[in-house]
Amino acid sequence: MNTVPPPRPRTLRPEAVDALLLDTTPWLSCEECFDRMDTHVEALLRDPTTRDPAMDRHLRGCAACDEEARSLLALLAGEGTPGSGRGGHD
Amino acid sequence: MTAPPSVPGRGRSGPVRTAEPGPGAEPADWVAALTCGGARQVAATRQLHELMLRAAGHQVSRMRGALPNASATTVDVIVNQAADEAMTALLAKLHTFEGRSRFTTWAYKFAILQAATDVRRLQWQHREVELHDLDLAGGPAARSDSPEHLAEASDLAAALGASMRTVLTPHQRRVAIALLVDGVPIDVLADRLGSTRGALYKTVHDVRTRLRADLTGKGYLPVTPSRSHETVPATRAGTP
Repeated sequence: MNTVPPPRPRTLRPEAVDALLLDTTPWLSCEECFDRMDTHVEALLRDPTTRDPAMDRHLRGCAACDEEARSLLALLAGEGTPGSGRGGHD
Repeated sequence: MTAPPSVPGRGRSGPVRTAEPGPGAEPADWVAALTCGGARQVAATRQLHELMLRAAGHQVSRMRGALPNASATTVDVIVNQAADEAMTALLAKLHTFEGRSRFTTWAYKFAILQAATDVRRLQWQHREVELHDLDLAGGPAARSDSPEHLAEASDLAAALGASMRTVLTPHQRRVAIALLVDGVPIDVLADRLGSTRGALYKTVHDVRTRLRADLTGKGYLPVTPSRSHETVPATRAGTP
């Protein structure tokens, strides 16, 4: 891997400006996001208007976690898993 | 997915017991089944692996377009490896399952994480990741042909560039540029730097906090964030 920055002209695209200035508070780590992901997705399946500000902000700010949460949601929705309020074991 | 409870009084005396799952049925209590030993544990382990394969297959299918080689054989190898690794990770954390969600949902997320990470690594395995410092030339690429908007965007981008030079460390700048400007996936950058997704996300969070504070202080951003929760652009760490 080349860790020496090659000098080259660069411009900041508007999307990059938005990404750099995204407000990701309240803080939530990727590890906490992973811990919450199952309950968060089940809550969304029960009620799509469910809001968890810290999770929502994290998912907007972290593409990898966001893809994985969307994927889990799609997998459960495809199975017809309603997240019907049952906690605990299957 | 739930084994039906036994019905009291049907050919069975004594206390009410939870029915044993029939052949092929998923365990009523996954944690117990996966730790009880014997044939029941073997069966539960096999069923858990099926869950892992299902979720890993789902994830690889979603990201198949990113694979350099998306042949059926390659996909099958990726899915199986991800399922195996995810299962190992899950079993190491089995004691942390608190039953706040269905076990299957909890299990799926391990396979999805592993498969997604594996696909990103394969996507970038032959690509060099350049870590370079800020080297901006000219204004931002136009997103609007409105002269007023263009001028505002140019001002903000220029101020942002200045902030990046003054309030960020070289490491913060390089990480932010790789993830937020060049679109290097966060897992890939973590691998190349010997870091973790969590550590890099924390760096990005600190970058954003510093930049927003600096530009707010200079009047480029409102003191009260105008980007409400609902209107925050969907631009993310590790996204081009």
